Amino acid sequence: MFWKSTYNEFLKIAAKPRSYIGVGAITLIVGIILFAMKVDGHNFISFVTQPFEQSLSFEGKILNGNLIAFIILQMLIIHVPLLIALVTGDLVSGEGAMGTIRLLLTKPISRTSILFSKYLAGCAYTLIILLWLVFLALVVGKIIFGTGDLMVLNSEGLVILQEKDLAWRFLSGFSMAFLSLVMIATLSLTLSCFSENSIGPIVSTMAIIILFTIIGALDVPVLQKIQPFLFTTHMVTWRNFFEDPLPVDKIISSAIILFVHIIGLLAIAVYKFNRKDILA
Amino acid sequence: MSTFRIKFLVVFLFAILSGETVMAQQNANQILRAVYLKSQKAKDYSVLANIKVDMPFIRMLPIDAKIYFKQKDKFKVESKSIAIVPRQGFDQSSKMLADTNSFTAIMQGNELINGTLTNIINIIPLSDTSDLILGKLWIDNKQNVVLKSQLTTKSNGTILMEYTYGAQLLYGLPDKMIFSVDVKKFKIPKSVSGDINNSSTETPDKTKDPKKGKIYITLTNYQINKGVPDTIFKK
Amino acid sequence: MSDSEEKIVEVKHLVKHYGKFHAVEDVSFDVFRGDVFGFLGPNGAGKSTTIRTLLSLIKPTKGEIRLFGKDLIKNRNYILQRIGCIVEKPDFYKYLSAEKNIEIFARLSGVTVTKSKVHEIIEFVGLKGREKDKLGGFSHGMKQRLGIAQTLIHDPELIILDEPTTGLDPQGIIDIRNLILQLKNERNKTVLLSSHILSEIELIANRMVIISKGKTIVQGSVSELLNAQELVVSFSVDNIEKAKQLLGSLPEKNIIDKIEDKNLLLHISQENIPVINKLFCDNDINVFSIEAKRKLEDYFLKLINT
Repeated sequence: MFWKSTYNEFLKIAAKPRSYIGVGAITLIVGIILFAMKVDGHNFISFVTQPFEQSLSFEGKILNGNLIAFIILQMLIIHVPLLIALVTGDLVSGEGAMGTIRLLLTKPISRTSILFSKYLAGCAYTLIILLWLVFLALVVGKIIFGTGDLMVLNSEGLVILQEKDLAWRFLSGFSMAFLSLVMIATLSLTLSCFSENSIGPIVSTMAIIILFTIIGALDVPVLQKIQPFLFTTHMVTWRNFFEDPLPVDKIISSAIILFVHIIGLLAIAVYKFNRKDILA
Repeated sequence: MSTFRIKFLVVFLFAILSGETVMAQQNANQILRAVYLKSQKAKDYSVLANIKVDMPFIRMLPIDAKIYFKQKDKFKVESKSIAIVPRQGFDQSSKMLADTNSFTAIMQGNELINGTLTNIINIIPLSDTSDLILGKLWIDNKQNVVLKSQLTTKSNGTILMEYTYGAQLLYGLPDKMIFSVDVKKFKIPKSVSGDINNSSTETPDKTKDPKKGKIYITLTNYQINKGVPDTIFKK
Repeated sequence: MSDSEEKIVEVKHLVKHYGKFHAVEDVSFDVFRGDVFGFLGPNGAGKSTTIRTLLSLIKPTKGEIRLFGKDLIKNRNYILQRIGCIVEKPDFYKYLSAEKNIEIFARLSGVTVTKSKVHEIIEFVGLKGREKDKLGGFSHGMKQRLGIAQTLIHDPELIILDEPTTGLDPQGIIDIRNLILQLKNERNKTVLLSSHILSEIELIANRMVIISKGKTIVQGSVSELLNAQELVVSFSVDNIEKAKQLLGSLPEKNIIDKIEDKNLLLHISQENIPVINKLFCDNDINVFSIEAKRKLEDYFLKLINT
């Protein structure tokens, strides 16, 4: 029954017009980035290499599909979480708003199964959005810009990764990014269990992301103690796969913290959904 | 001592010193000329290069590239990977030596480098508008090759280059080059890095001299005077 | 009287509190197999809360609920597999077609449902040809029909309908009434329905319970409860004064309830209707019509106001 319910949930997501907002928005934003980089990418590269160019010269194909894919992945910080929450935040509260929850919860399937089937369908949607982003970034990016080494600028300097070393890094980075987005999906689904309308969970999810991001960026001693435990601190962990040497400990601890958040939020969602009196 | 003798002594000493200076200058110019002529033996060449960068703020694995050169100043680095090379290029010394009228060369003594006695020659540009501020060359005048050079320019700061020769000594082409650059002025713009939640606890790598960085270039498989088409140098 | 003695629904001393607000205080009733059971009460009496509790949409504060002989909390899935229901208005997924909506809910019903079965049930409720239409374009009546379709798709034993005729036109109300009777008579279903349209309950229900302010007031067979009460019968006559005099001469006193125009409203039992009619006819008073009025309504109002 669980798999039938999951299939149902996936059908519903596929039929909702709002599910395609995410796909369309990503296509548009990536299209704009690809166009901008095609027109003005070399100036962008100059901005990155400028601190070194008094003494050094960079030869080779810096502006290539791998760099474009890396730049596009940065969108994962703000844009894609919103597009995910738009759908996953509606999974429970949308049923309440529409009134279908009355019929749904009088079926011979446990509420926990229904919730997990919604969650699984939401995660599947998240994966599709991410795969679409990967396709546009890597495949289309490489068709337009070709391929080559990846030059990454972080606060500690420049890291240049050879092309043959990139496949596993991108795969791992995207996997970590998927975990981050599943975290967002879990948060919005949990908030959805507390609401009777769709807007509340979506806005709340974004508000929490923005608030935690601000807290994570402040150099205040009392806040620095909690910063390592905020999920937003670990949403950019995928970038660690483009460091050399690979900070394995950092990656593992980030993954653990995200998992703990996911499990904790799911536990809250299950508790709330099971105890909820359906008055709508 | 009579007045005449004193005057004669002064004039004699002056003549000797002037003559020594002139001779020193003439020697320096001769040495440089010999080095220059040797460098002209290779009309063109291509060579495989392995480039290793050892610099604070930059992390990259050694990469392979191909370098093309054609007289008098066509130079190209070709690589599938991203290569970092000194901004001035590899042939700054011989470019500088091409125009002997643009500078004054002065002998500054000798130094042993890896068991080889070298003449130290200072290069002082004559023009105020020249990019070069000061040059210093350590030359093996038995082989007429530059073993070390230190060039200070307005645009690129000071760069120190060390050369090791092997099979292509005849053409004055090195097997190995080490470039040392000053890196203390590298400033990383944080807004570009996107590390808005950077809670890095990494301590700076103290094994690296934070002020200096090096580029090691190993050159193999020279193809000299085999003809290099001009199309290679077009971007 | 019920056709059988098997209890399909047993509710014992049901209580539901929301903090200080007491939605249901003490509701008890039984529904037997084959019943069309009327669930009556004024607004705010606790009908909807009770029905939602039966369907596990709401958790009771106290009390016992058994369906098909099993405890609801411990056997939820077993019980719900045997129930089809509409709670308030039937809401569906607007962005899906009628067919897809039925398939989605059918998939969760615990039995295998085929596409042909879906089409058959859609045709049964009178929506043939509209299977592929999106719900956004459906009228209230059409949604109600589709609601009945999803109730029946898995052939349940018990059908629970909460206010099924709300918002329907007269034809729609007749259709629903006929459908319920068809379900009972042809398909041997047990139906529990709540309604504010008392005449509908009177016409189709065989048993009922009346609740008020969260408590059971009375339950039992509709006919027995109503026959125990006096009727109010309206006689339309041509000579009111003469009729009044005749009635005054009868041994029973105070049988005139009121006089409206040319209608005499009399408190009499069913057996006395032909007696009064003969009395009028024998005394040259023309009787144009005889109508039993406000039976259940009066009974209902009397109960909830005491």
